[in-house]
Amino acid sequence: MMEGRCAAESWAEFGLLGKSGTPLVKCGTGTDVFICTGGEEVYVFTAQEKTLRAVLQMPAAVRDVVVSHDEQLLFVACWSGVYCVNVQLLVPRASSLLVVGSVLLTLCRTDASWSLTLYQIQRTSQSDPCDLLASFSLPLVSPKVQSDAESRCVLVCVYPGNLMPASSPPHPLRSHYPLQPLLFRRLFGAEAALSKSPVVLCGLPDGRLSFLPLRIPGSRLRILHSLEQSVVFVGASAVMETDAGCAGCLIALGKQGRAVLIRAGRAGLEGGGGTRFTLGCVPGPVECACMDQSRVYYSTGSDLLMVDLWDGSSGTAGRQGDKEDEASRSNPAAFLTPISLNVSGVVALHQPTYSSAGEVQLLSLSVRGRLQSIRLPVRTQEDSLSKRPSSQVGRSVGDILSAIGDICERASVLKTIIRSKNQILKQLNQVMNISFLLSNRSESDLKPVRCRGSVRWSRLLQRDSLNLTCVLENLSPFILERGWTLSVTVLPLSCPLEAGGEASSVNYSFPFSGLGPEESVEVSLPVATAGDASFPVTVTCSLLFSLWRFLGQEEATAPLDLQSACFSLPLNTLTVDWLDALRLSDPPAPARSSSSPADLLQGFISSRQLRCRGGGQASRPEEYSARVRVSSELLRDALGLAPGSPRVSLLEWLLSEGCGGVKMERKGIKTDGSSSVICGSAPDNATVKLTAEEVNVEEKTKPLVTVEVQVKSSSVAAVCGLHHAVMRRIQTLLQKAGSSRVVPTADLRLALQQAEEQRGQVWEASSVGVSSGQTPPLLLRVYQQLRDGPLLIL
Amino acid sequence: MIQSASLLESWTQENNQLASGCKLSPHVFLLLCLSLSGIPPHLDRAQLELSVVYNTCVCFTAQSQFDEAELLLTQTAQRLLQIAGDDPGTSDPSVLWRTALKSVTGTALHRRVLSLLCLQWGVWLAKSRLTAVQDFQEMSLLEAQSGAVWNDCRAETKEKISNIPILVLDPRRLVDLLKICTAIVQGAERLTEGWSVLSALQAASASPAPRALIAYTHLLSGSCLAHMNRPQMALQCYRKALETDPRCVCALYQSALIYSRLENSQAEIQALRILHSMLLLPSTTEPAMAAGRLLSPSLFLCSQSLSSLLSVPSALSVLHSLALKCVIHSRVSEGVECYLDLLAALQSEDQHGVRVHAVVSTLPKLPRLYLEAGAALLMARRPADCMALCDEVIGSTLDLLPEKVLLEDPVARRVAGSGEVTEEAENGLVRLLWTAAAYLLQGHCYSQLKDWKQAVTHYTRCINLLVKVHYKDTDKDPEQGVDLCVLQRLKGLSLAGRGISFAQIDRLREALRDLQLSRQAHPEGVSARRWYGEVLWRLDRKQEAAACWEQTWSNPIPSLSEALPVYAQELQSGPLLDSAELHQKLQELGPT
Repeated sequence: MMEGRCAAESWAEFGLLGKSGTPLVKCGTGTDVFICTGGEEVYVFTAQEKTLRAVLQMPAAVRDVVVSHDEQLLFVACWSGVYCVNVQLLVPRASSLLVVGSVLLTLCRTDASWSLTLYQIQRTSQSDPCDLLASFSLPLVSPKVQSDAESRCVLVCVYPGNLMPASSPPHPLRSHYPLQPLLFRRLFGAEAALSKSPVVLCGLPDGRLSFLPLRIPGSRLRILHSLEQSVVFVGASAVMETDAGCAGCLIALGKQGRAVLIRAGRAGLEGGGGTRFTLGCVPGPVECACMDQSRVYYSTGSDLLMVDLWDGSSGTAGRQGDKEDEASRSNPAAFLTPISLNVSGVVALHQPTYSSAGEVQLLSLSVRGRLQSIRLPVRTQEDSLSKRPSSQVGRSVGDILSAIGDICERASVLKTIIRSKNQILKQLNQVMNISFLLSNRSESDLKPVRCRGSVRWSRLLQRDSLNLTCVLENLSPFILERGWTLSVTVLPLSCPLEAGGEASSVNYSFPFSGLGPEESVEVSLPVATAGDASFPVTVTCSLLFSLWRFLGQEEATAPLDLQSACFSLPLNTLTVDWLDALRLSDPPAPARSSSSPADLLQGFISSRQLRCRGGGQASRPEEYSARVRVSSELLRDALGLAPGSPRVSLLEWLLSEGCGGVKMERKGIKTDGSSSVICGSAPDNATVKLTAEEVNVEEKTKPLVTVEVQVKSSSVAAVCGLHHAVMRRIQTLLQKAGSSRVVPTADLRLALQQAEEQRGQVWEASSVGVSSGQTPPLLLRVYQQLRDGPLLIL
Repeated sequence: MIQSASLLESWTQENNQLASGCKLSPHVFLLLCLSLSGIPPHLDRAQLELSVVYNTCVCFTAQSQFDEAELLLTQTAQRLLQIAGDDPGTSDPSVLWRTALKSVTGTALHRRVLSLLCLQWGVWLAKSRLTAVQDFQEMSLLEAQSGAVWNDCRAETKEKISNIPILVLDPRRLVDLLKICTAIVQGAERLTEGWSVLSALQAASASPAPRALIAYTHLLSGSCLAHMNRPQMALQCYRKALETDPRCVCALYQSALIYSRLENSQAEIQALRILHSMLLLPSTTEPAMAAGRLLSPSLFLCSQSLSSLLSVPSALSVLHSLALKCVIHSRVSEGVECYLDLLAALQSEDQHGVRVHAVVSTLPKLPRLYLEAGAALLMARRPADCMALCDEVIGSTLDLLPEKVLLEDPVARRVAGSGEVTEEAENGLVRLLWTAAAYLLQGHCYSQLKDWKQAVTHYTRCINLLVKVHYKDTDKDPEQGVDLCVLQRLKGLSLAGRGISFAQIDRLREALRDLQLSRQAHPEGVSARRWYGEVLWRLDRKQEAAACWEQTWSNPIPSLSEALPVYAQELQSGPLLDSAELHQKLQELGPT
């Protein structure tokens, strides 16, 4: 038999089969398949495209389906009878329908145009039920604009005068309006008026309002007006009492609430007598709308609103004639003031009907799928109120009370919104003040909001780390309110070679809530850990303010990136250098009497190490050192030190004085009285020794007392770093002292000579070293020479 | 092998069931086709497979799904080549088919392949790829080989072997149909290119084919002869076409055009009348041929030039030209009837107007139609009806009139081109002319009723409207546009009318002034000149009157022409001056 498996392909899902009817599948016209799942629907499925083309909803469960021989008609047998459906008319993508007399109009969007197609509905002959009469097309404006293919088009029909077709039912048809002959002539021309042709008006989603006179040979779709927003509703209203049932005004409503009123200008006013297009606006969005003689009812989705077009102030604009009419025309915003009807969630409306008592009744469909009948009270006029029976009065009072409650609720919501907006405005004002305050200063000025820092070694989980405590001080007269964030960026100036030589910054953000004038807030962050030699570290502080605070939204839902929605105000920059990070230990000789056993142990180990190092000079190749000489006079002047022991005070100053805004918290520097030696360990755990001693230098003119600071360590990095740190501090010292000093020139010449000699060595080292691989030692040697032959700083 | 044979048999049976069923759809065949193509191509099954493909493609073609048909055909040709082990290395269908046909020459498959090739021919024809069709004709495959093969086929069908797959359409009939359709389409194409195709068309007209198609060949021959400036022979051909297929309305229309060219107005009116009544019959425009047949000839006759040759204006257009012809050729009462029919058709509830004129309309604008009808009524001495029509026009246009129309320099207008913009811009002028013409006709009506005061009123209204148009009086440019010409005519006619009316109520000075002005506005106006003479005579300026009359003697009132709207021409509706009387007067004057 046949080889392989048979393939069953799933084309579509129709859900569970109903119980009452008979499940059916039948092939019909062309590639159509009719499917009945036993319920009340007949699905029309195209086998070719494998898509569902239509669902025919029958009033009862379907029993059988048959297609006529010419494949035009589908007969559906239900419990309630046999229905005949024209299969041919399942026009794809038809978005709106209208019946004018015996013509059915469909409006559908094709790829490049809107096409209005006319079909003849012949009631008598069954053979050809729907005959295609004509098709008119209007090119799309641009494909992009009309991506909203789902939005519905509006199709209405207007007649000149009271020439509604004789066959029309007594009650007014929806979408059919008799139009004042004058307006009709002016809008659609003499030809349409002469042929008394019904004119079809199409409101398209691109905002165009186009028209087509039906009975004129060779007519085509033409543009009447463009609302520039999706047309939701087109209607006509009887304005004047003299119109005798004809509408004197054509109204189109756009999705966003734009409205256009089209009326005939007064004859003779401007010669040819133009048409007046009055533009107005109602609060949108307009979901759906309907209208009676002079009022438009529309739903914004949250509320149902009523606009009395010709009410003006007293409701007599129409009657009093043209004077007031003119006024209302000249002031288009005035007449489109909606009155709330307090019904929410309406998505579809049917034309209003009137009860015998004069009540207006609207049939609406809510967004939840509820069919509602909305009854509007008789227009509130005093005489009608007084005539009302007492039973109705009670009810109406209840209605009014509930309406009041409703309005109160909404009013309170609005109040809250206003309050919060005011709050936001205030905050924004503060933010702007602070922004100006901080951004107007140059770098050198002290900013009124700034950071101080202090570092401290701390130990956590057997690991030493250097913590920076940043204190944000607000010295400005403004409050830093909630919403500000202190952003601290830690950026090492250098980093070990093995890390790739690229310094990577770390960012810390500290949101704080409110910082009044003269207040401060303290944050703490790790800068480095022990063994990490990437000093000095630059700490950049800035203040951030996110605008999303104002919107009440959190960052998670923010559509914009954080950067673009922030004020970022730079504050000052702190530097943590080797001196700040130096951990002091006692001078090597006496053992410390520490309390904790761990410290004891550590002390023991480190002293052992020191001793080992000290003892094992042979094992270690060399100890590096660097020297800086500063004149004592300068120190005295700058630091205001006691004349007695400048060297101790220099060391103390070096270690304690915050330079670059950072202070080391130390309990007190223990120096060995006269020798003024400080021992400590650098962050990379290398032992360092700082000594300061007074040296007499023979200048040519006179002897000079200087203080020499020497840095000694086995680690080159530590020596370099500390030397750099010391120099930085002395630099600031010099800046403080000013430039009034006389610099001896002879000494400078010598120094210059030395420098040139060393430069030659560097050059030599680099040139030689390229070939021999001896560069690093040579360079090191030059460096040592540079550091050992210190310049005298006066 | 036995299994395979039985499978083959069952497939054949399935095909035969489907082919003899009453509902033919390509998709049921396509399923069978797919199941056949699922197995590797083999000579044994090729016969069946080709038959099924043929059936499928016929059904596709019948539903105008030419692309699907062509795809299937190409695939089949490729499979055939697979069987033969031949690979032309191209997907060009004509090369494929040539190779495929060569590979099966002499085998039993040859006939089947030929019939598939015919289908390909049909697809090309339907898609108007005439060069491909011509290629195959030049191969002369179809002509030379078809005869023998089809005879063979006939012999086979007599045997009635049960397991031969049935074809839904006899290939011989397909070939016949395609031949004549090709002749027609090619004829039409060449005719529009200006070639003479008489011999080919006449050869085709002798072939066995549906009447409608034969009629088309006659029609095209007629068109060809008309191009060659042989109107009488063309008329003969059109007559033959009509005799062959009475529903060939196009032949009637073309005859009417030829009569018009020959200025045989009576015959033209007759032709138009018959054409109109035929167009009103249901479904005459669609040649309702081959109702029971699978393939309609219209599938293959979709060439652009053919459809433009076969196009016939709508019933309303025909009615309008009929009415106009009647009025112009002094069959006024008939013309009036036609106009009234036309207006009734336009006003009626049914949407014929929409239906036919959706694309392009040859009908003039409605107000002009009304005015033409009004003029016809006036000529038929029905002034009341005429006035009613004019009232309608005035009512619908009066409040749309501009206060003032300023015509630009004709040169500037010509530069602006005849785009939509200028059309819109000129609307004011056009409306004004409509209204003015309506007033003029009303004035004519009142003068016909001898209500001279009313006539003066209406002529005055007309004049007042016309003077709102301002234009630079550049030297008489023939290209100045019909509107300007109509404007001048209307001015002349209305002034003449008012002058004549004044003359009737013995206000001779005003009459003289108006007639003088009328002569200035429209120098060709004959009645204005005659009446000018008359008024001069009455004012006792007999010599001048005589001179004036002498001038008019030579040229009588011109007959109506089609170049201008009827209402802008002299209708001879007003009071006439008896020429005999004028002669008498002149003779009285003569001795002096």
